Amino acid sequence: MTTSTQTFTTTRTSEGAKAILVAACLGLGLVFLAGFSPASALHNAAHDFRHTQNFPCH
Amino acid sequence: MIVRLLSAALVAGFLAAVVATGLQLALTSPLIVAAERYEGRHTHAAGLSAPLPIVLAHAHEGSEPHGAAPEWQPAEGLPRMAFTGLATLVGGVGYALILGAVMLACGREPSPERGLAFALAGFASVALAPALGLPPELPGSEAAPLAARQAWWLMTATATGMGLYLILVRRAAITIFGGLVLIVAPHLAGAPEVAVTQSELPAGLAAQFAARSLAVGFVFWAVIGLAFGWAWQRFGRGREAGAHV
Repeated sequence: MTTSTQTFTTTRTSEGAKAILVAACLGLGLVFLAGFSPASALHNAAHDFRHTQNFPCH
Repeated sequence: MIVRLLSAALVAGFLAAVVATGLQLALTSPLIVAAERYEGRHTHAAGLSAPLPIVLAHAHEGSEPHGAAPEWQPAEGLPRMAFTGLATLVGGVGYALILGAVMLACGREPSPERGLAFALAGFASVALAPALGLPPELPGSEAAPLAARQAWWLMTATATGMGLYLILVRRAAITIFGGLVLIVAPHLAGAPEVAVTQSELPAGLAAQFAARSLAVGFVFWAVIGLAFGWAWQRFGRGREAGAHV
């Protein structure tokens, strides 16, 4: 019983850590794309969003 | 768990983008368009690599700027609004993913109330604190080089986020002190110079934009937090119900 609980907890924890890591990396990537990407086309497309959300622009 | 986290972030990002795009189009986009009329007269006369939307739009009418290939940009009107909405969606989902990751990493089960609390910390980190040194700017009022402003923005947002974590989640005397130091340090170090150029941009327009920008940012974050907590609980219930069948 104790063993199975421990195994369950460990699996859940490692699964949770992986999920957190994936979400954090994906989230940072998306925010970079919308707010910081220096590519001119991306800057022009996100221009008004960047100004409104106070990302440094231009 | 990963599916639940991604799904909740997608829902929260979408709902926040719908609300924030509406507010942006109503409150801030008209000011940006108005400001672009003043852009390029003084501050952008030299050294600007990306041509400005208003200049480009006019360039098609006959005066190609020095034979340079025009860079892609959404056309005025509906396409520009659509891309603003798309960028808000991408940014909203991104923020929601970070919010969810931080909440779970702190060991907090997301609920609407807790989501809102973490979202307020997010708003303070990426909108309020950077705005103290770099007020939200309209096109045509920037001074310091972009890289310096982006570096200070990132440093301030990270330090404020870490500081709030140390103060609000850790809650020990030493971490509270460290958190306060982290929050104050970027401002003591000083932001890149604020624009003091002779822009023809009316000050009232800039002030109105700064206030509206922070208001839109606040609503954006509040919806992300509330919706993420709600969606997380909802997807959790669905999964439990499925497991019982």
